[in-house]
Amino acid sequence: MVKHIAKRVIVTIPVLLGMVLVIFFMLNVVPGDPVTVMMREHLKEDLIDRLRQSMHLDDPFFVRYFRYIWDALHGDLGVSWKLNRPVTGLIANAFPCTLKLAVASSVFSWIMGIPVGIISAVKKNSLVDHLSMGVSLFGVSMPIFWVALILQNMFKNVLPVSGIESWKSYILPTIVLGWSSAGRIARLTRSNLLEVLRNDYIRTARSKGLSPLRVITGHALKNALIPVVTVMAIQISSLLSGAAITESVFAIPGVGSLAVSAIKNRDMPLLQGTVIFTAVLIIAGNLVADALYSAIDPRIRVE
Amino acid sequence: MSNILEIKNLSVSFASDGIKERAIAVNGVDIDIPQGRTVGLVGESGCGKSVTSLAVMGLLADNGRVEGGEAMFGGQDLLKLPDRELRRIRGNRISMIFQEPMTSLNPVITAGKQVAEALRLHAGLDAAAAKARTIEIFEKVGIPEPERRFGCYPHQLSGGLRQRVMIGMAMVMKPDLLIADEPTTALDVSIEAQILRLMRDLQRESGTSILMITHNLGVVAELCDEVYVMYAGEVVERADVMTLFSQCAHPYTRGLMASLPRMTPKGRRLYNIQGTVPNLRAMPAGCRFSPRCEFARERCKTEKPPLVDVGNGHLCRCFEPRTTPIAWGGDGL
Repeated sequence: MVKHIAKRVIVTIPVLLGMVLVIFFMLNVVPGDPVTVMMREHLKEDLIDRLRQSMHLDDPFFVRYFRYIWDALHGDLGVSWKLNRPVTGLIANAFPCTLKLAVASSVFSWIMGIPVGIISAVKKNSLVDHLSMGVSLFGVSMPIFWVALILQNMFKNVLPVSGIESWKSYILPTIVLGWSSAGRIARLTRSNLLEVLRNDYIRTARSKGLSPLRVITGHALKNALIPVVTVMAIQISSLLSGAAITESVFAIPGVGSLAVSAIKNRDMPLLQGTVIFTAVLIIAGNLVADALYSAIDPRIRVE
Repeated sequence: MSNILEIKNLSVSFASDGIKERAIAVNGVDIDIPQGRTVGLVGESGCGKSVTSLAVMGLLADNGRVEGGEAMFGGQDLLKLPDRELRRIRGNRISMIFQEPMTSLNPVITAGKQVAEALRLHAGLDAAAAKARTIEIFEKVGIPEPERRFGCYPHQLSGGLRQRVMIGMAMVMKPDLLIADEPTTALDVSIEAQILRLMRDLQRESGTSILMITHNLGVVAELCDEVYVMYAGEVVERADVMTLFSQCAHPYTRGLMASLPRMTPKGRRLYNIQGTVPNLRAMPAGCRFSPRCEFARERCKTEKPPLVDVGNGHLCRCFEPRTTPIAWGGDGL
């Protein structure tokens, strides 16, 4: 088990290096010169050249790439051109808000999605089923910014709609983010459970004299939730890297807002930092999903 | 001798998507299972033999429905019992073994726990006592290293071992009746013989009656005392096993016997029954076997033959039951 996970961790190293290479290359070919971004447009040519040299922007591409990797390994992702502060510190400051929102909306989606999925599967084709699947489908298919704006408008007199004032500020963004996740989880739980309930071993469990409730909780659920757990782990990792749209609409100073402002300001080091941070979290999320998967399903447990 | 289970006039129907009319899968079936005996239920796929057993156990799929009849077990009609009371009988006084040992056990629960579960439910044992009792039954059904096997997941066991686990699970409460639905079909021949011997030994020890559902006449000859032959949702013949193999009377049963491979001179083709089983929604008006029957007359096509006694409790649903003994050396009917 430990060996299996260690192996997966080692495999991620080339993935990370390749990913940084791609991001680095892409931002390198994007038009726009950092010096003009920093100093505005009215600078003399020789001053620009001197600045470029002092920032090592004239070095060959791979020299800059390996220097970036080396610095990143020491926790240095460069300095934001716009804010003139270390990128690592900016992300670290923004992360708590993102973390709270991600945890809240994930927990919300689990405690809504899984029970709703179970009830829908058990009461298949009933009114409850159609209703909850409709609400789920709505959450999955509506654009997040639209749902956010509608909810803001509906609750503007009861709940804070912008910035972080207290825990209440997290309620609306949590619902906005959690709704679509909950919808996805509910639909997945329902379809998996329905499929599992058709299996021979469910008939065996019933033939033993177990009550319908015990058949579901004791025999069906564990099988049905295996794929759901995978989705949950990947979902929380993408939420942790910042929900750009939701954070922007609710003016939450999280990692997502940071990335959006980096794009607007052409702040390459900051953008690069947030994108790499996102990618690392998603890779970690996949690793966790993998470990959980083999913890729940004995068939893929490696001995 | 008293009967442990009496199925009377059982009918079961199924709904299909998009079709208004329900298909009748089992049509007025009577089966008696005497105490301590093994009764075979024979017929080809889709003749309603599994559906009959599932209906009795209250385990029909959602689209299945019992249309009528009764299943008397210990003075109670199982078909009318509320689910809560039926559950007290299921896995306790009547248990089941299924065909596919590969899929009949839950892949994410250890084999031991799946057996212990029945003990905790019906005998009210605590975890430790249930485990000890499970290891005991594992030993009895011939599972080597029972203590280690207790913690094994189904995918870590061979097909034969899984079926032994299933039998252990079914026998652990010493049921009055064991319904075995093709328990050896998915196993290879040497394992099949071991499993049949095990079932016979367990039966001798506990006095359990067995309803053996199979399409394999070899299994019937090996294990059963009495046999019911089903065709297209109806019982067409009932006889004790000796009578059945020496002089079965229904043309369908004769056909089954004739299509068994036997030691005949080289070059002779094996007999087969022409045609296929009729569609459940388009049953022939008269005898359901008449379109495939070599001996069918005009009367057979319009009038339905009743199940009549042709001597000594040997029942046959045919206007002209065959009377000659089966010629095991020759071929044809």
